Amino acid sequence: MDYTSQNQKDKQEMLKVLGISNAEELFDVVPENLKAKELNISGGQSEQELLNTFKNLASKNKPLISFRGAGIYDHYIPSLVGEITGRSEFWTAYTPYQAEASQGTLQAIFEYQSMISALTAMDTSNASLYDGASAAAEAAMLALRATGKNKILVSPALHPEYLQTIKTYLENSKAKIAMLNLSVNGNIEKGMVLAALDDDTAAVIIQSPNYLGVIEDMDALSAASKESNSLFVAVVNPISLGFFKAPGEYGADIVAGEGQILGCPMSFGGATFGFMAVKKALEWKMPGRIVGQTVDKDGKRGFVLTLQSREQHIRRERATSNICTNAALNALAGCVYLSGWGNDGLKKLAQTNISKARYAFNKIKAIEGFKSKFEHSVFFNEFVIETKKDIKKINKALVKNGFLPPLDLSYFGGQFKNCLLFCVTEQRTKAEIDKLIEILAKV
Amino acid sequence: MEKLLNEISSECKAAFNVNCDVESDLNIPQNYKRNADLGLPCVAENDLLRHFTNLSRKNYALSTTFYPLGSCTMKYNPLINEKIAGFDGFNCIHPSQPAETIQGALELIHNLEKDLCEVSGMDYFSLQPAAGAQGEFAGLLIIAKYFKSIKQKRTKIIVPDSAHGTNPASAAYAGFEIMPLKSESDGSLSAQKVKELLTPEVAAIMLTVPNTLGVFEKEISEIAKASHENGTLLYYDGANLNALMGMVRPGDLGFDVIHINLHKTFSTPHGGGGPGAGPVGVKAFLEHFLPVPRVENKNSKFVLNYKKSKSIGKVRAFFGNFPVLVKAYAYIKALGAKGLKNASVQAVLNANYMLAKFKDKINVPAGSRCMHEFVLSPKSVLQNGVRTVDIAKRLLDYGYYAPTVYFPLIVEEAIMIEPTETESKETLDKFVETLNKIILDEAVNEPHKVKDAPVNTPVKRLNEVEAARKPILKWSG
Amino acid sequence: MNIPQDLKYTKTHEWIKIEGNKVRVGITDFAQHEITDVVHVELPENGKIVKKAAPAVVVESVKSAFDIYSPVSGKIVEINENLMSSPELINQSPYENGWLFVVEFTNNGEFSDLLSADDYKKII
Repeated sequence: MDYTSQNQKDKQEMLKVLGISNAEELFDVVPENLKAKELNISGGQSEQELLNTFKNLASKNKPLISFRGAGIYDHYIPSLVGEITGRSEFWTAYTPYQAEASQGTLQAIFEYQSMISALTAMDTSNASLYDGASAAAEAAMLALRATGKNKILVSPALHPEYLQTIKTYLENSKAKIAMLNLSVNGNIEKGMVLAALDDDTAAVIIQSPNYLGVIEDMDALSAASKESNSLFVAVVNPISLGFFKAPGEYGADIVAGEGQILGCPMSFGGATFGFMAVKKALEWKMPGRIVGQTVDKDGKRGFVLTLQSREQHIRRERATSNICTNAALNALAGCVYLSGWGNDGLKKLAQTNISKARYAFNKIKAIEGFKSKFEHSVFFNEFVIETKKDIKKINKALVKNGFLPPLDLSYFGGQFKNCLLFCVTEQRTKAEIDKLIEILAKV
Repeated sequence: MEKLLNEISSECKAAFNVNCDVESDLNIPQNYKRNADLGLPCVAENDLLRHFTNLSRKNYALSTTFYPLGSCTMKYNPLINEKIAGFDGFNCIHPSQPAETIQGALELIHNLEKDLCEVSGMDYFSLQPAAGAQGEFAGLLIIAKYFKSIKQKRTKIIVPDSAHGTNPASAAYAGFEIMPLKSESDGSLSAQKVKELLTPEVAAIMLTVPNTLGVFEKEISEIAKASHENGTLLYYDGANLNALMGMVRPGDLGFDVIHINLHKTFSTPHGGGGPGAGPVGVKAFLEHFLPVPRVENKNSKFVLNYKKSKSIGKVRAFFGNFPVLVKAYAYIKALGAKGLKNASVQAVLNANYMLAKFKDKINVPAGSRCMHEFVLSPKSVLQNGVRTVDIAKRLLDYGYYAPTVYFPLIVEEAIMIEPTETESKETLDKFVETLNKIILDEAVNEPHKVKDAPVNTPVKRLNEVEAARKPILKWSG
Repeated sequence: MNIPQDLKYTKTHEWIKIEGNKVRVGITDFAQHEITDVVHVELPENGKIVKKAAPAVVVESVKSAFDIYSPVSGKIVEINENLMSSPELINQSPYENGWLFVVEFTNNGEFSDLLSADDYKKII
């Protein structure tokens, strides 16, 4: 099966027009010694056979009831989201270069930008980036470019893969990354930022809730970063913003984050979207596509890709980023997801996450051999528990019962040797949480 | 005109709801709480469904029309692949699950890497990059790290003036300086000119084959030889790989690093601008520098190996755009070696067939034969102040999406057409007839019709100047 | 094409008005016409040191971005902030309201290769 449409008769007619007898003659420009031998690739399966092959592959993966987050989260995805992203008019379209023939995609992106701006309380959102990690890296690049400074201060409680991505992005540049210190409460203290700041600091990057689940005092940290005219970059969980302070409220200059939780399945951590929003002053320096409102020749409202002279197809090596393809379809999922919850709904969703996580937290730390690592910290839907029990045994027991265990934090540093990072979203029922408690108590 | 969500928002109840089946006090200090309005619209589910469904109908899409977008390979996106990628076993797994619970996903990644190596003639692949530009970026960082490891200071990258904008942008992002290479008048590259640029500082030369005018680079072997003799590596931009499957392998041409756009050559949908996938492939001597983690097969079990001290690290979180990888692998298993070759041969036949029907009427700077795409330059036949942009807009009136226009930059008033292998002869014939009619008849005899186009679209020609001068980038009441 | 007699010009289409120890710089009518509708201007910061013939400003249209070069070396002492909100001034009034920046120059020897209005007319 190769999805071509021509029958033999069509092919013959086409060859006749070209005056050749075999289509492979069109490759005569390629020297013989450069032509490929027959490829060693299996295939040729019919649609039915494909289904069986991939059912078999999929069956070697085991979806689990998740008590783990750490960057990718199990939230409920309402049916409307899949219905809309499943419309072929959206998923088989290209980037909306011909605006008049792409108003559906363009207006949806404009709506997305409106909602990301509102949610973060920032001036301007772009049309999406690849994922949270690369969005954080792009935020660092933007800050370096906008300030002309050379140093980035990063929270050690930033997601480790985000940190690694920022390091990779800056690998061959002259910019330096300096790490802040973590307090015993699992957060960053204002004094640490003030002590680490200098005149060459382009940005301070803080995640909240951080990798350990702790909500940071963003007001204080943002104010501290302004002491040396550094930009404040907030990496945030968008659902948490239904309840917790918005980046625009604490004076963030750049907001970046992972959009998976806004209507995208976990799908092994891929095909999600990154979001970015900035203050107006940074608009023309922002990476990625941006959609703007305008009018057509009759004065009717319409939408176009705009501020394009920032981008690679025009500015080439001096573009604000190399990004071209982004994650439009996933951003569309985010757009439908946010509009379906609305103001009250998103607030309730955030509160439900807090309530369920708090319920589980109280129960787990009451089990013998388990205690809270950061007892006095505020958290959203993730928290750290220290245990005296054997983590391997805990994992084994949970997987056996169809649960995805909390993340073993031992790799995150010596002080987390016996620590587990739990996540409880609105997806987890009371029955599932109670079952978790029961298993943990028995280990 | 479709209203904006905020304009249909009311005090109704939200579309989605959640119940909380536990009780616990929230107990959050006031200064952590949000004060600002959320500012989201509030719309009932029924109205949301209508809103977004109506929006979708304002799109031209591959599922509704021919999309001859040069350089973008808008081929048919097989429906079965969407269904497969939606299996719970692929969709509902967490990236940090224990290895024994994700053997299927790791096996798929491992096997897809192997098949991409075979198609491209490379030795190793990483599927991590999220799109072509990120594949380029990863590839260039690999090149930078390689030269660091052998203690050579090489700071420059040669990029032809016909290249995709992402090439110079990615090279600059990776910390390199760009050396522009001027193309010949037919869009090809001269080995002699390359040689003149090859100094000891040149780390790599970035090429796409066939080039952006749809022509196989005749002097590629000489360019490869001269570059390698200078210690310079060859980078292959895989945007045009759809011309070559089963016929020519970039690895055999001498390329050391390559990225592939799975959302072009391997039929995964473009989603209105993404997600795509841009796997990066290398020759064996560069394997250590690939992003982590690597999927390895140990005692017939698949494992993730993060311990690669020479790796460039990560260009994004986790392993890549996994559903896109699933779809690309399903495509390869449908076609197999024979089907892949047939797809490329047919893509080249379709393009040449179309070109044959234009070449006597409209200027083709690269000559009368092409690979999978070709570029027309209608400048000499355009009259009455009609420009390529008008031709493109007029095509929309006939229900077609427009070809790529004004690219490559080296061709005046360029119209770049890539039919792909999945379009029928009938579709190609009708499109050729329409485009010829617009350029040779309407633009001459009824220029206002072309300059006023489009009129059959949901909106007429949009004012891009005002959009950029006074940007309105969100709903503001 | 409007080419005022009282100004000096460069081969790269900037105009220069000498004001004591400073020069005011903009782009010519010819240049604004070639660039088409200006949608954005990236201006240098006040106080920035610029070099003769090095890029000082980027003028952007919908589909292009153009470097504008400083005709002399020196320090930027004034920029036309109106262009931030009204970039169209460059198209509407290239020699008056659409000026770009003022440089306090360091070396008036650099004026020798500037063109007169008549010489400039010959190269466009």
